[in-house]
Amino acid sequence: MGTGGFMAAGMLMPMVRFAIDPILKTEAASDMVDIDMKVDDITTEPQMKKFKVHQVDGWYESDVEQAAFVFKNDKGDIVALSPVCKHLGCTVDWGTNPAYPDEFFCPCHAGRYYKDGVNVEGTPPLAPLDVYEMDIKDGKVFLGKPMPHPKA
Amino acid sequence: MKWNSKEIDIYLTSKEYVDTAFITLIPISFNGEMKQSVAMGEFSTVLTNEIERQLHGRTLAFPPFTYLKSEEREKKLNRLKEWTSKLFEQGFQHLFLFTSDTEWKQFEHDLDAALIWLPVIPLEHMDGKYKAEILQEQTKQLLQIVTNKWQTES
Ligand code: FES
Repeated sequence: MGTGGFMAAGMLMPMVRFAIDPILKTEAASDMVDIDMKVDDITTEPQMKKFKVHQVDGWYESDVEQAAFVFKNDKGDIVALSPVCKHLGCTVDWGTNPAYPDEFFCPCHAGRYYKDGVNVEGTPPLAPLDVYEMDIKDGKVFLGKPMPHPKA
Repeated sequence: MKWNSKEIDIYLTSKEYVDTAFITLIPISFNGEMKQSVAMGEFSTVLTNEIERQLHGRTLAFPPFTYLKSEEREKKLNRLKEWTSKLFEQGFQHLFLFTSDTEWKQFEHDLDAALIWLPVIPLEHMDGKYKAEILQEQTKQLLQIVTNKWQTES
């Protein structure tokens, strides 16, 4: 390879670093998003709710679609779980495996989670589903970022 | 997983879990057919992206297979077959080709992959909510096709 190639590589590198350096990444605002769901509509059956979050990553801005399973747990508390499987990121669904109707099921490698989001031991996922930060205002649900499950 | 550096790193370390490849077939044409080709490509891309997102951990979505609409039939068929046989060679067990171009339907039996034909829905004239509903409905059906194949062939 001639000097030209070497120089070109030298010039490109700093730019690539600039693009992906996490320090330069604008933090997705920890704003809470209105997911258009009333507290009164929440049941003990997990419901899949989709909503949009605005994200800025480097110079790339986009509206990212996110989803949450929202339901009331045994104690009557409202919970919002992320449907993203903690194994390799497929989308889990509620009650779709006839053998385990009261669990979240991942179609990709048969990962399973109990209703509270904790992974069933012996199935591929090694961690519980993430839990969304949540706010209730005027009887409506607002969600923030998905955070590691308290039992993780 | 997608064809980008970040996700390929994950693929390389968890290959044993990824046995399914997605490829969109996208026609390119000009003049009177241009607009229609664009719509076809757009529609299959949107759906492939969505299904890739939902089945992220077991699938690798390759860059689209693009071809000139005017390309000789045998030629493009052979080119595509070269892709699919390479992927099988690489250990992929399930191959899905997504397209809105009816021409491929005639080749369905010549291909060793599952060809999923998606009739174009004119999304540009629909309002947001209705559009989302339709896409969701379509994705649901696609999901079923893919997961059924997993169940019956594993
Ligand atoms: S991605 Fe969910 S079990 Fe593997």
